[in-house]
Amino acid sequence: MSPELAFLQALNGISFGALLFILAAGLSLIFGMMDVVNLAHGAFYMLGAYVALSVVRTTGSFWVALVAVPLALGALGLVVEPLLLRRLRGRHLDQVLITVGVALVITDLIRLKPDWGAEVRTLPPPDALAGSIAILGNDYPVYRLFVIAFGVTLALSLAALHRRSRAGALIRAGVDDAQMLSALGVDTDRLFAVTYATGAALAGLAGVVAAPVLGLQPGMDVEALVLSLIVVVVGGLGTLGGAQVGAALVGPADTFGKVFVPQFALFFIFAIMALVLLLRPSGLLGRIRVIR
Amino acid sequence: MSGSTTTNELAKHRGYTYRLTRRQFLVASSAAALAACGPAATPSGAPATTSAAATAGKPLKLGILLPFTKVYAELGNSMKRSADLYIKSKGGKFANRTVPAPIYEDEANDPQVGLQKTQKFIDQDQVDVMLGIVATPIAYAIRNVVDSAKLIFIETNAGGNALTRTTTDCKPACKSKYIFRSSFSSWQISNPIGEYLASKKGVKEAFTFVSDYGFGTESQADFTAGLTKGGGKVTGTLKAPLGNNDFLPFVTQLKAQPTKDIYSFFSGTDAIGYIKAWNQLGLSAAGYKMNGAGFLTEQDVLKEVKEQAVGAITSLFWAVTLDNPENKAFTDLYQKEYNLLPDVFAVQQWDGMRAVDEALQKLGGDTSDKDRFIRALEDTSFKSPRGDFAFDKDTHNPIQDMYIREVKVVGGQAVNVISDKIARVQDPGK
Repeated sequence: MSPELAFLQALNGISFGALLFILAAGLSLIFGMMDVVNLAHGAFYMLGAYVALSVVRTTGSFWVALVAVPLALGALGLVVEPLLLRRLRGRHLDQVLITVGVALVITDLIRLKPDWGAEVRTLPPPDALAGSIAILGNDYPVYRLFVIAFGVTLALSLAALHRRSRAGALIRAGVDDAQMLSALGVDTDRLFAVTYATGAALAGLAGVVAAPVLGLQPGMDVEALVLSLIVVVVGGLGTLGGAQVGAALVGPADTFGKVFVPQFALFFIFAIMALVLLLRPSGLLGRIRVIR
Repeated sequence: MSGSTTTNELAKHRGYTYRLTRRQFLVASSAAALAACGPAATPSGAPATTSAAATAGKPLKLGILLPFTKVYAELGNSMKRSADLYIKSKGGKFANRTVPAPIYEDEANDPQVGLQKTQKFIDQDQVDVMLGIVATPIAYAIRNVVDSAKLIFIETNAGGNALTRTTTDCKPACKSKYIFRSSFSSWQISNPIGEYLASKKGVKEAFTFVSDYGFGTESQADFTAGLTKGGGKVTGTLKAPLGNNDFLPFVTQLKAQPTKDIYSFFSGTDAIGYIKAWNQLGLSAAGYKMNGAGFLTEQDVLKEVKEQAVGAITSLFWAVTLDNPENKAFTDLYQKEYNLLPDVFAVQQWDGMRAVDEALQKLGGDTSDKDRFIRALEDTSFKSPRGDFAFDKDTHNPIQDMYIREVKVVGGQAVNVISDKIARVQDPGK
């Protein structure tokens, strides 16, 4: 493999990794805070993508969708958490089950809506990012470079929020011991609702950014959920750093897996996950969690 | 995860029935549901489809098995629209048999589900004719059940070669006298274009890039044989997994190899992802040429990729632009009813329905004698929207023309324009 080709493939891998991080961030946030694997994550992602499709069709602007869709999904999260999850607090398995229910309802509603429906659809990237530019004398899609920039920016801003802001401090405290936080006078109900809404908004955001690359079709919810789960399991459950490391490893691994062993492309990343689980069951950056 | 304590609780309580908790109820009912999903207990020796009484005059029961959920849902919808329209256009009557609304079942793109639903058609619904099935693995999975139940089945999409061929030990499937196919075999859409490119277009070398599953592999092998027969050779092969999410790595590899003519088999989302990556990486500008089996640029793909597919050369037995009276009548009727252009899947289903209808005309509506019914189907030939349609009497695969099509922009829309025709293509199966 020529160095030039290796560089292009590395770029492909990094761009896919950035996409994976955007996909997994919301799942990781909710799990870290609430100890709930939000299996509606894929459905939120799918809904985000379809809402983006409608927004782009009516307003003609990708950028409007990029702002409006996370807000809409955040609002949905603000409804789902108090209405459904809060009643089951402390019963994690039941909470996970109810997120499956939410996912089934959302995906069926999407299927029933005639202009979303069961057909395969694509969301074109915004005009400014639609073309290609020359890198090492080869055409390279601008949108993929945007995805890299977007993913890195999102990772940095989430990390800054997490480490420096009051909300971040509350989240970190909540991850460590929600009961103690509540005893200190923090309204954990509100904190959980906001966390869940943020997670849903991030899923919606992923739907907008990923749609021009991965497309819209029935079954995209499951595909996105599986990819996100792999990323957070490899990186370490429930830590932001874990999602970053997971995505940075899985993206390029998937790409180079496709290049070197295309016949195993489909399960290459599953093999990585199995290996990580064998050697470090809590993920690369995972911590041993206290079972409450 | 901290769910371990509740799981232990669950395990502890399981089996105690003094008080049925919701959770136990869920466990118990899902176990019952699983048991119900198992293979039907009735052996399919003598179902009522072989009733001795003359059936003329009785309503004709059609069982149609299609995907209405998962990735192929839209194909199923299209084929259902076509079947309903055919019945409507005949005033709900084939010969002297009234045709009530067919019984539709969802195969959910799963061979096990397909098998259960086929059993239901046989045991419970006792249908006269079964049609449908999109994915080849499902068609292979139900082959033996249909064969032993002596149920006439018209395959209206799946193109796996083995379904209409004699194979060693019937693996992965083989022809059955009860099975007809109104669609195509993968050989028909892959091999002739290989020979055509080599002998007519002077393509001496090609590189193949296909979907890594049974059908893609079959298409790749058939194309290679065709190209070789025409005097060309395949310089290399690349395969991408079915439902591949990111095509950039693969297309980057394509561009890193020197052979300019690429032959591909992809459909649906994969085709869209592939064509987009092809454009983003500027393969056409670098002199690469996209060729493929027709599904690569069918309407579901074209309406999303639009002019990005311009220049692609594919072979298929139909195109919406095909100029003949039957196609015009069919597309007009379909468009009037649904305000949609028909697709190739609708044509396949339409011809399947037509074949049953024509056979019934010959039989005076009497479907009680299976062997007569089979002979009537074998003798069926008609003008289809795709051109002349007839079944190969040996294999029950259609004998049909293959059209060479090139994607061009006509009147602002990207469409498949027919540039050439390979007449009466017959699958080499025996």
